[in-house]
Amino acid sequence: MIQSNKLTNPVAEFNGVFLRYPGGHDVLKEIQLTLEPASFHFLTGESGAGKTSLLRLLYLNHLPSKGRIRLFGQAVDTLNRRQRTLIRRKIGVVFQDFQLLEHLNAFDNVALPLRIEGVRESEVKRHVTELLAWVGLEKQLLAYPDTLSGGEKQRIAIARAVINRPQLLLADEPTGNVDDELAKRLLYLFLELNKLGTTVVIATHNKQLIKHFGFPELHLKEGRLEVIPENKYMDMAMKLFARGEKHD
Amino acid sequence: MIKKDIPFREDTAKYFLPWMSFLMVFIAVLALTGGFKIQNILNTWQIGVSGSMTVQIPAYDAQGKSREAVLDEEIEQVLTILRSSEGVLGAEVVSDEQMKALMEPWMGGELDIQLLPLPKLIDVSVDAQNLPNLTTIKSELAKQVPSAVLDSHRIWLDSLLKIIHMVIELISFVLVLLILTATFTVMYSTNASLSVHQPVIALIHMIGAGDFYIAIQYAYRNLKLIFAGGCFGLLASIGLVFLISYFTRYLFVDFYPNAVLDTLQWGLILSVPVWVGILGFITTYLTVLKYLKRFL
Ligand SMILES: Nc1ncnc2c1ncn2[C@@H]1O[C@H](COP(=O)(O)OP(=O)(O)OP(=O)(O)O)[C@@H](O)[C@H]1O
Ligand SMILES: [Mg+2]
Repeated sequence: MIQSNKLTNPVAEFNGVFLRYPGGHDVLKEIQLTLEPASFHFLTGESGAGKTSLLRLLYLNHLPSKGRIRLFGQAVDTLNRRQRTLIRRKIGVVFQDFQLLEHLNAFDNVALPLRIEGVRESEVKRHVTELLAWVGLEKQLLAYPDTLSGGEKQRIAIARAVINRPQLLLADEPTGNVDDELAKRLLYLFLELNKLGTTVVIATHNKQLIKHFGFPELHLKEGRLEVIPENKYMDMAMKLFARGEKHD
Repeated sequence: MIKKDIPFREDTAKYFLPWMSFLMVFIAVLALTGGFKIQNILNTWQIGVSGSMTVQIPAYDAQGKSREAVLDEEIEQVLTILRSSEGVLGAEVVSDEQMKALMEPWMGGELDIQLLPLPKLIDVSVDAQNLPNLTTIKSELAKQVPSAVLDSHRIWLDSLLKIIHMVIELISFVLVLLILTATFTVMYSTNASLSVHQPVIALIHMIGAGDFYIAIQYAYRNLKLIFAGGCFGLLASIGLVFLISYFTRYLFVDFYPNAVLDTLQWGLILSVPVWVGILGFITTYLTVLKYLKRFL
């Protein structure tokens, strides 16, 4: 009873996590990280800094070579195959290279996570049509990925990642192929989900976007993680400061 | 419902597996039918390996003249030849009492056996695993006791039976080989297909597909291919069996009816594609499960 409001297990907890690919050096070093439920983070760092690698640990594509990771309150190294599968279903991923299935059309690609979960086909149809319309692809329902532009593919990848309302949404450069306006629009989709309780981590190089939304930044540098706190009022503060200087 | 996320259209198993199954079932059905027919013929003969033969020393001489009695010395000679032959376990003269008992049903109990020109019978028990060399025994007998006759029909029959049993064992062996080959072929073909579709499988695994979800797609797909090929194999094989039967019926008029298959045997033969399908299904399923272990 006393513990009853402790529903809020962190979505993810990293404790001294290292990652080393077979035959390589440590790509991630001593990562200390807690993702609270319904938090929103940008993940930044130079190319090769380890952003994708960090996300891979989060979606259970790799286990750490050292250190402990807990996802949804469970230590990942103690999970069996079935439990890992169930955890993956709570996680939506937008892959850096989209990873669309070339033999499936836009509709079927987006429908995949629902079908894997065994959702009724009438439900699948309703949700997928709705979501594809939201990302502006209502006319491309039956188009195959190789007939679509980079931005369109990206939007399908995003739609597939969010279709089953994941508790954790991981997006690896989800706005790399679209203009700033569309990028913002897509981020608002993530924001909507975030408001409904989804924890979001977005790897991006887009400074403009980070500035615009002002969420805290997880910054990777040579495999080490640094958390740059929320800077919602940064823009404003900068302006005020600048103005003050002028008036001085 | 079994989902179809994996683009099976793009791999070669769809040509390979049905052909494999066609061939396997074709050969298996021929072998089974042959085996069953041989078994049925054997059963109607109702004989097994007996392990005995008889030597007769007739009560008339080589010129056909009857004589008083068979000489003891001849009997001794025959016994010596027999007992010294490899593969002979024992040789005993059938006593007058035994002879009398044998004759009783025809001659009545009052028979004086000494009055009849009966041959002396020697009962020879032989090692069924290591049959004596009949040619040597015969030539020895011909040299020393020309009137002695070796009645070895049973032995010839036994040898024939042994050959037939060997044929049946051979057929079983062929069937085992077929099953092994089919299993390995299915494993190989499944693994080939899995490598082709590795990126797709990795992706659906990553977005939450369980092992069952993926393995069942493969198993079901291979089942269809194998069963389809197997059905054609069965048809072809049965066609050939009927053709052969049709011709042998003219060659062995008396012989043929013995070999008619019963319902159970027909059931087994007709269900071969089903068994092969089930075998393929299970093999595929397990092969995919093993493959999936490489993904965390
Ligand atoms: N599967 C792998 N096997 C071995 N090394 C890898 C593998 N994936 C990534 N690396 C290495 O790990 C390091 C970090 O790669 P990662 O993809 O995580 O960087 P990133 O921050 O996502 O870069 P980018 O911004 O270019 O996408 C790189 O040096 C890369 O070469
Ligand atoms: Mg990357």
